[in-house]
Amino acid sequence: MTIVLPSLETVVVISAFALIYMLVLLKKTLQGKFDLYDFLMLSMVAIIPAAFALFPSLAYLVSHLTGVVFPFVVMFGALFLVVFAFMHNMTARLHKLERQNCALIQEQSLMALELQAKESGRSGG
Amino acid sequence: MRQDLRGQRGVANRELGSTGMCGADAPPSSAPRILLVIPCFNEAGSIGNLLSEIAATGCDYHTLVVDDGSSDATSAVASRSSPVARLAQNLGIGGAVQTGIKYAARQDFDFCIQIDGDGQHDPRAIATLLNAYSKDPANITIGSRFIDNAGFCSTRMRRAGIRLIVLALNGLFAGGRITDPTSGMRLLDRSAIAFFAKSYPTDFPEPISLAWAMRAGLTVNEVPVEMRPRETGVSSIDGLKSASYMIRVLGYILLARLVRAP
Repeated sequence: MTIVLPSLETVVVISAFALIYMLVLLKKTLQGKFDLYDFLMLSMVAIIPAAFALFPSLAYLVSHLTGVVFPFVVMFGALFLVVFAFMHNMTARLHKLERQNCALIQEQSLMALELQAKESGRSGG
Repeated sequence: MRQDLRGQRGVANRELGSTGMCGADAPPSSAPRILLVIPCFNEAGSIGNLLSEIAATGCDYHTLVVDDGSSDATSAVASRSSPVARLAQNLGIGGAVQTGIKYAARQDFDFCIQIDGDGQHDPRAIATLLNAYSKDPANITIGSRFIDNAGFCSTRMRRAGIRLIVLALNGLFAGGRITDPTSGMRLLDRSAIAFFAKSYPTDFPEPISLAWAMRAGLTVNEVPVEMRPRETGVSSIDGLKSASYMIRVLGYILLARLVRAP
């Protein structure tokens, strides 16, 4: 197995991207825009390419173990897996929020109606 | 929410009045409490007439107009003659109808009858639904356009689509003998009110709610009614949307058959 090492420029660009992106994510997480789960899943977009660039022998080992000829295929496979897992959970969360939103709006309207009925009952004697 | 459901026949056999089940004719102690749920979205042009027609029936119906986030004067017009539940945001017909059903469950109504706010449903047909219930009590009684094929029966294209939904519902669920699954005129008894107060479909609620109900073992009956063309507005399901509607409804019905009742 011939290990082709990434060039220095590639390593620098990918590492810089990973670092900047992680810092942005961290900032948004600290601001409360993301929770820890979002932070971990989104940071995979930086961590996976960085791991493949910084540890090429590890990338080759993983591609060898999975029976894939090119390590970048494994990398994109891993990225797709993370993205789909994230999308799957996000869709489920979205539907749950939709249901909760609907129930809240219904409750609000029914409570307003109840309040109105009580008030008109009170004013009516 | 109250969970103690009275027996259907107990309510059905109560004294409901001699002609068309008007509660006003019946003794107050035994008269069933009937709530008319009227979901509305920008129906300022027709809701006033509808409420006047309901009042003109002379029956002791309670009404609840559910204003589904209208941008016109629907609430203002309706609130002159009926309580109005104003939804802060448009939830669609499913969310609006379920609001009314939840209200019926909490206020301990015996029957909840859904009628559209666009003037398609003649309030005089409510008595027909109640009459049918007293003769043959079922958890859900639908006012069907297609038993007698009288009055406004929708376009040919849409009728063909409805026929497909009918085939799916009657074929996949035991005891199904539905002819008009998309009818928005339906009577729910206490069991159906309790069931739908807990969960009601937001997408394509009329046919899917029937699939859910039949899956849960609720009974469905139909009675012929005449419907009128809508007074104002246009249907949201037209053209290519009809095909998409059909495919998605059939998918949901199949899904309802495959998934166990909650």
